[in-house]
Amino acid sequence: MKNRFIERPRSFCALGGAMLTAGAIPGAVPILHTAMGCGGSIYWNQVGSTGYLGAGYCGGMAVPSSNVKERDIIFGGTDRLTEQISNTVKLVEGDLYIVLTGCMTDIIGDDIQAVIRDFQAQDVPIIGAETGGFKGDAYKGYDLVLQTLIKNLIEKKEQKVDHKVNLWGIVPAQDAFWRGNLNNLRVLLSKLGLEVNSFFTENDTLDGVKNSGDAALNIVVSEFYGIEAADLFLEVHGVPYITSALPIGATATEEFLLEISEALEIDQDATNKVIEREKIIYYKYIDRIADTYNDQDFQRYAVVVGDGNYAAALTRFLADDLGWLPELTIVTDDFEDEKKNKIDKYLERLNSGYKTKVIYETDASEIQYHLSRHWPVSNGQRFYDAFSPAFVVGSHLERQLAKNIGAAHLTVTYPVGNRVVLTRGYTGYLGGLNMIEDILSVLVFER
Amino acid sequence: MSYLDQKVAPKREERLGTCVDFGGSACDLKKSFNGGCLRNNDRGFCQGSICQLLPGLSMLNTIPDSVVIVHGSLGCGGAGHSQSAAVRGRQILAGSTNPRGTLWLSTNLNEMDVVTGGEAKLAEAIIEADRRYRPESIIVVSSCVPGIIGDDLDGVVARIQPQVNGVILPVHCEGFKTKVMATAYDAVYHAISRRLLEKEEEEVRLIPDELEEAAEKIRRSRQVNLMNVSSGTPGDEKELTRLLNALGLEVKIFPCFTHPDDVKYAAEAALSISTCPTHDDYFLKYLQEKFGVPYLLRYMPIGIKNTNSWLREVAKFFHLEKVAKRIIERETDELELALQPLRQTLKGKKAMLSAGEVRTLATAGWLQELGLEIIAVRPYHYDEFGEPALDKLIEHDPGLQANVGTVQPFETVNIIEKNKPDIYLGHNSDNIWAAKSGIPVLPVYGGPNTYVGYAGAFDFARNINRVLKNPSFNQNLMKNVRQPYFKSWYTDQPYKYIVQGSEDL
Repeated sequence: MKNRFIERPRSFCALGGAMLTAGAIPGAVPILHTAMGCGGSIYWNQVGSTGYLGAGYCGGMAVPSSNVKERDIIFGGTDRLTEQISNTVKLVEGDLYIVLTGCMTDIIGDDIQAVIRDFQAQDVPIIGAETGGFKGDAYKGYDLVLQTLIKNLIEKKEQKVDHKVNLWGIVPAQDAFWRGNLNNLRVLLSKLGLEVNSFFTENDTLDGVKNSGDAALNIVVSEFYGIEAADLFLEVHGVPYITSALPIGATATEEFLLEISEALEIDQDATNKVIEREKIIYYKYIDRIADTYNDQDFQRYAVVVGDGNYAAALTRFLADDLGWLPELTIVTDDFEDEKKNKIDKYLERLNSGYKTKVIYETDASEIQYHLSRHWPVSNGQRFYDAFSPAFVVGSHLERQLAKNIGAAHLTVTYPVGNRVVLTRGYTGYLGGLNMIEDILSVLVFER
Repeated sequence: MSYLDQKVAPKREERLGTCVDFGGSACDLKKSFNGGCLRNNDRGFCQGSICQLLPGLSMLNTIPDSVVIVHGSLGCGGAGHSQSAAVRGRQILAGSTNPRGTLWLSTNLNEMDVVTGGEAKLAEAIIEADRRYRPESIIVVSSCVPGIIGDDLDGVVARIQPQVNGVILPVHCEGFKTKVMATAYDAVYHAISRRLLEKEEEEVRLIPDELEEAAEKIRRSRQVNLMNVSSGTPGDEKELTRLLNALGLEVKIFPCFTHPDDVKYAAEAALSISTCPTHDDYFLKYLQEKFGVPYLLRYMPIGIKNTNSWLREVAKFFHLEKVAKRIIERETDELELALQPLRQTLKGKKAMLSAGEVRTLATAGWLQELGLEIIAVRPYHYDEFGEPALDKLIEHDPGLQANVGTVQPFETVNIIEKNKPDIYLGHNSDNIWAAKSGIPVLPVYGGPNTYVGYAGAFDFARNINRVLKNPSFNQNLMKNVRQPYFKSWYTDQPYKYIVQGSEDL
């Protein structure tokens, strides 16, 4: 980790991640205890970076917010928060109110839990979390909101239900494709006979979240995000968890299903049958695009740029499913070594055997240099084995890089400002097909 | 002006008594504001709003050949991702075939920095930004955290400036320090004035050329500063430039999208012309005081009457009244013909508006001229610069309702529910709440449209007419998506949560 500036950070702050996560819980209303601009800043950020995700039920400029001012910073903001909450519950209909603090109120040390307890005593369904922006990125904010749910909302259940699982690791809004990604996996896992609680989609309910304590397993489709929450869930509710890479396409998804099956001791044959059936469908579609893949020589060198979830998952998909050549994988999180090792190891054992160069870099403008160092530029020789034909899968920040190196480009990772995202998801078998559809569509777009 | 000797521009509630919390009749707004008792009003229920950092960044992210360093937590500059769309558009217009959009850094202050201070990190960011991007200017914007942990922004800048090539502009935009987002304009102009605005030294020629000197003198006597706003569109700038060119004036546009090296030309103009009085007074007063450049700061050229007045005022300054009269006649004759069929459908339609102070009030004035009825105006703030436009509205409709608030959509939807407007013209990011009420929406700025001058007057008329043709999208939204408020809220009066301010603290 390097404690220094970041160019065009590829994440909301902890508060942003928390607000968007809280706002994605069915029936929940975030109440910000922050300076006046935090809600607006997150919304102005959100629209152009998450595939044009709107405010939703009570987000955006409607989010209740204490808007603490200089006076409150000096004398303390809890009176303002108390007034704000008591008016919010009269005015805004919510099944659950979630108080989220920002930098200022965290720094001055407002005791929000005391305020929250007073309202809980009056039967107001309210919890809170300290999520000041300086505490970290959106992934941190996501984890902090999960943690308050675990401690303060989710009911304790001694008896576990062996086919119930909770699905985490995909951060609402920060992953523009979160709804599709969660839904794809929910549908897929239900084919193994599981009842999946994914907390944040239109298919989830607040009751489902409250009653998630009887799950047999927490599935975290990330090696990095939501892990502290999963540890806490184990501690508080006694539910174990497994982590997995984000599964995109047939190769990774098969491995994912087998891991889940093993962890839950599901009959191996039944799982294999599901995999077999899914693969038949998957390859019926692949069959019909394979003509063009071969006729048009659609194999590409690739640069992949994304967070810990996507960088590894996309690289694997391109190499193992699409038969592409992901030469450079840029992981944009500011990770400590332990996490870096996880990604390095994962990418060392691709089924295709393809070796990618993994670089940890937060700053978009530096990627070009990494590529030049990795793939020597032409020194004018007549026969030069160029980094071509090439494709960049990353964020909209990579459009400039792609143009510079004459590559095609698809935006998948944050920030997503040149695509509109509704139902689309890239996880599972369906997600792999979606990915092929989107990638190859770029190659034929100008026709 | 003594303000510029200070490190930080004053906040607007202090400098201008600016108000952001009011609901009632427009007449009352004017009366109470002039009584000086509005700035301490408050709300007992608030929604997330816009702090001075956001419009500050909207302006600063447009400056070419520059890097914006947001000194604060990771999220504070994030709006730059969204603002990149408009900036890229301008970069393409300026000829770039591979535009990079906005370029900004965050000093990413974390828990450790909150304790130990962020100055060293900021210094490193400035030095590295200079090395990496070779910018003409390095714009350092402070958000809340440095303001409370006591980082000395100006001290860091003074210390690092000798080590870097780019001119460093410290901009103080701590969000918690003012409740008036428009303070941002002053904060930005404050930095630009202190760091970029120096009059060029007159070139001394070895061989004097009197003819050329005379020509240059004449040219400068017709050179004007046209002040733009970050919410302006390329169409807006084109339209106003066209009108000023028609008067024979040479136009230089400031400050958005103006190269740092070109800011100095603002000091040599014959006149500064504002397009949004509440945006520019701080800078134009300074230009006059320091460099003797007079200014015009009364009208926002939205709608025919305002555009006429705006143009006449400029023409009067240059003694070009006759030319202006001809231009106005030619423009309005043709425009009136085109407007005739549109006026038929627009007449009597009820509209509600919400956006920046002068834009809201001036646009409402134009809609009144078009024959629409204004049921309420919601300026984001109110101060003396709104008064001329407000006077016109009151003159036309003494019972007009005014609600001053920076966004606060819970009040918007209450007013909509009670008054059922036919169309809503709102600010980016507050339109959605009117849309969910089933009301057709036209954004009051931005996008591909033109909003100012005669072209803008026509665009408003034809776009409102267009939007009214098929409101299905928002009607479906209303039927199927619910607002977050209890039903009882709509039986309350919309200004229930506005609290009368006490005396100054």
